[in-house]
Amino acid sequence: MKIAVLKYHIERREHESTLATILSIILAILAALLISALLIRMDGANVLDAYRSLFIGGFGSWRAIFETLNKATPLIFTGLATVVAFRAQIWNIGGEGQFLAGAMAAYLAITLFPKSPNSILIIVILVFALLAGGAIAGISSFIKNRFNVDVIVSTVMINYIIKFALSLMLYTSWRDSSTFYPQSPFIPENSYLPMLVEKYRFHAGFILAVLFAIITFLLVEKTPAGYELRALGFNPIAAKSRGINPKRTLMWILLVSGSLAALGGAVELIGLTHRLRLDISINYGFTGIIVAMLADLNPLGVLVTGILFGGLTNGSFAMQVKTGVPTSIAFAIQAIILLFVLTASILTRYTIRKVEDAH
Amino acid sequence: MSAEYKPEIILEISNLTKRFPGIVANDAISLELYKGEIHALLGENGAGKSTLAECLFGYYQADSGEIRLLDQVIHISSPSDAIDYRIGMVHQHFQLIDTFSSVENIVLGTKSLNIIFNLDEARQRIKALCDQYELSFDINAEIWKLSIGEQQWVEILKALYVGIDLLILDEPTAVLTPQETDKLFSVLKSMKESGLSIIFITHKLREVMAVADRISILRKGKKVATITTSETNPKELARMMVGREVLFRAIKDASFTGEEVLTVNNIWTRNDRGVDALKGVSFSLYRGQILGLAGVTGNGQKELFEVLTGVRKATQGEVILSGENVINFDPYQLMLKGIGYIPEDRLRSGIISDFKVSENLYLGRQRLRPFRKGLFIDESAIQHYSKELVSQFDITTPSVNHLAKNLSGGNQQKVILAREFTQQPKILLAAQPTRGLDVGIVEYVHSQLLMKRKEGMAILLASEELEELFLLSDLIAVIFQGEIQAILDPANTTLEKIGLLMAGVR
Repeated sequence: MKIAVLKYHIERREHESTLATILSIILAILAALLISALLIRMDGANVLDAYRSLFIGGFGSWRAIFETLNKATPLIFTGLATVVAFRAQIWNIGGEGQFLAGAMAAYLAITLFPKSPNSILIIVILVFALLAGGAIAGISSFIKNRFNVDVIVSTVMINYIIKFALSLMLYTSWRDSSTFYPQSPFIPENSYLPMLVEKYRFHAGFILAVLFAIITFLLVEKTPAGYELRALGFNPIAAKSRGINPKRTLMWILLVSGSLAALGGAVELIGLTHRLRLDISINYGFTGIIVAMLADLNPLGVLVTGILFGGLTNGSFAMQVKTGVPTSIAFAIQAIILLFVLTASILTRYTIRKVEDAH
Repeated sequence: MSAEYKPEIILEISNLTKRFPGIVANDAISLELYKGEIHALLGENGAGKSTLAECLFGYYQADSGEIRLLDQVIHISSPSDAIDYRIGMVHQHFQLIDTFSSVENIVLGTKSLNIIFNLDEARQRIKALCDQYELSFDINAEIWKLSIGEQQWVEILKALYVGIDLLILDEPTAVLTPQETDKLFSVLKSMKESGLSIIFITHKLREVMAVADRISILRKGKKVATITTSETNPKELARMMVGREVLFRAIKDASFTGEEVLTVNNIWTRNDRGVDALKGVSFSLYRGQILGLAGVTGNGQKELFEVLTGVRKATQGEVILSGENVINFDPYQLMLKGIGYIPEDRLRSGIISDFKVSENLYLGRQRLRPFRKGLFIDESAIQHYSKELVSQFDITTPSVNHLAKNLSGGNQQKVILAREFTQQPKILLAAQPTRGLDVGIVEYVHSQLLMKRKEGMAILLASEELEELFLLSDLIAVIFQGEIQAILDPANTTLEKIGLLMAGVR
C-alpha cells in the first residue's frame, strides 16, 4: 500500500530576496525586544513604560536626538574600523585599545602644543590620533606578517596594554591632583571641537563621523585598494595568485582600521568629555563590532546602526530615571538584537519546501 | 557474460529523484543491478552520477522513488545504514588517516572494535583478502608512506573487510597511472568473479569499454539508456553522453617553432611540508609551442606552476623570460611581464566566487587602465569591457553583474580564459585547464589553446588526461617526484611509455 506523506525539506536559497532580508531584520529586532521584555519584567518594571521611556529618552525630543547623535559618534568610528578590517576577513578586535590610544594621543598633542590656534590644533590632534591608532594596529600587522601571530590574539591582548597604559598615565603625570578620581585636568578650550548646537552640547564630531563613513564607503567599494581588500577577504589564494600582495594589503588595512578607531577616541575627548578619564570608552571598541555586524559590514549602514545604538544607550538613562531599570539593560538589549539579527540573516538563506514522498 | 547466464537482481532502483535548489540532480532514475557484474555509470560532470551513488550510500536521501535490495524496499538514511545493508563505497577523495597504518585504518570504525585493541586477528584477515586479490603492499606501513594507488587498495579493503555485496567506486582512476589502472581493473574483475557487484562511476569511455559488463548512461540527471558493453562502441556512448556527435580530435596545425621565450634552468623548491618538491627542473618554451606536462598529481606540477607564477619561492635555479632572470619575482611583476595563468583549482585560485563576473574579469589589473580612472575604479569602462568579453567568449550568465559562484564550472573556466587571453600573455601556464568540464567545453578550451598557439603564444600545459596531451602537445615532458624524466615527441612515443615514465620507470 502506498501512502502519500508530506515531508518538508530545508534547502538553501539560490537568491536571497532583499525584502525578506529587511523584513527579517525588523522581525529580529522585535523578537529581541520581546525577549528583553522578560529581563525588564524580572526587574519588576512595567515593560511598556520602560520601552516608552527608552524611546523618548533616545529620540523623543531635540535634546534627546542631539544627545543620541553624540553617543552614536564614537560607535560610528569604531564601527567603521570594524568594517574595513572585517570585510577583508581580518579580525581586528582591538578597536577598544585603538580608541583609547587615539584619545591619549590627542591629549598628548594638546599638552605639547597647548597654545596653538583652534583649527590648527584640531588638525594636529587628529593627525596624532591617526598615527597612534595606525601604530597600535600596525604592531598586530607586523607580528602577523613576520611571525604569523593571529590578529585576533594580538589585537585583544594589546587592548589590555593600552588600557593599563592609560591607567598608569592617569594615576601619575596626567592626573588632575585636585580631584579624587584618576582623570586628567580639563583640556584648554582652544582644543575643543566646534559646537554645532551649544544648548545641547552637540559637537562637530558627528559630522566628522558621517564624513569618514562616506570616505570609508568610497574606499571599500569604489577604489582599486578597496577591490583588493574585498578580494583578500573573499579568496586570499586567488588574490595572491593574481598579484595582490597579502602582507602589504593586511598591513594597510590594519593601519586604516586602527586609525579610524583612534579618531573616534580623539573626537570623544575634544568633542564631549574634554578630559581624559579611565572610562572615556564605554566599551565603544567592542560595541562597534556589533554596530558593524548589524550593518552587514556596510559603511553607510554603520551610520544607521550607530544611531540606533546611540539611541539605545541614551534612552537607557531616561529609562533608569523613570522606571528604575538599570542602564546596563541597554547593553543586554544590544547583544540580544545582534544574536537575533545574526540568526535571522542565516535563516533567510534557506527556504522550506514541501515534497511529496511515496512510501 | 555468456548468453546462458541468468542474472540475479541484487539491487533495484525505481524512479529515484533527488533535487537540489534549482536543479534536479537525479530525475526518476530506474536501474537494475545484477549479482556479479561491473555496472558503469557513465556521464559528464554534473550528469548526476555521484548524486545517485551518494543516495545509495546514504549521504543523501532521495526525494522520491524507492530502492530495493534483494526484493526488499530499504531506506538508507546514513552511510552506516548502507554498511549494514552490505553496501560499500570508495570516494574520489580518500578518507584515510595518514599517520595510521593500513590495518589500523581498516579496523577503525568497524563494529568489531573492542576496548582491548588486538590487531592480530584483523591483520590475518586483511592478509587473506590481499592474497585473494593478489595485492601486495605493506599493510603495516603508515598511509603516508604508500603510493596513491596503494592507498586506494586500502580504501577498497576497508569496504571488503566489513563484508559487502555491492561496492561503489567513484571515479577511481582519476589519480592512477595507466599501469595502476590496469591493475585495478584486473582486481575488479576477480572481485566480480567472486560474486561481488560493482558500480563503477566514470566519464572515461576507454575505461568503460575495458572493464564494464553493462553501462548506464546519465545525462543532465536523467538516465539515457542501459546497454551491454559488448553491443556498443565508444562513439555511440559519447553521443549518448553528450547528446550530440562529438569530434574526438581538435585539428592541430603543423607545428612551427619560434624563438625561445622562457628558459627554466635547474629549479628547486620545497612544498608546504618543507620537503623538496622540485629537484632541478629544466626545460625551454618556444613561441607557438605547446609543451605538455604529464605526471600523476602530486609529483611537483603544482609547485612548478607556483614558482613560475611567483606564488612560491624557488630555493635555487633561474627562470629566463625574454633574456631576463625573473626567478622569485612577485606574481604582479610576472603578470605584467607577460605570464598568463590558468590555475589547476579554479574555485580556489582562479576565481573569486563572491565577486561579480565583471569583477573577476579584471582581477589583478585593478590598478591599471582602463579599469582605473584617477583614484577610482572606472565602473562604466568595466561594464563595457565585461559585456564584450562575455559575448566574445560565449559566457553564459544572466548579466555581468551576476556573482561568479552562480556560474557553471565551464563558464567559470571561460571567465578565466577570457581574463588571461585578453592580456595577450607571451606565455600561458595552463594547469589542468579541462579538468571537470563537460565534453563540449573541453572542445572549446582545446580549440582556444590551439588558436593561441597559432598566434605564437608559448603554452605549458599540465594534464592528467594523457589523450589530451597527445592531442595538443608539440612535446611532452614527464615529471616524477619533482624531476623531469624525459621530454618526448608525441609522434614518436606511446601512451605506455609515458605511463611508465610517470611511474618513475625509465
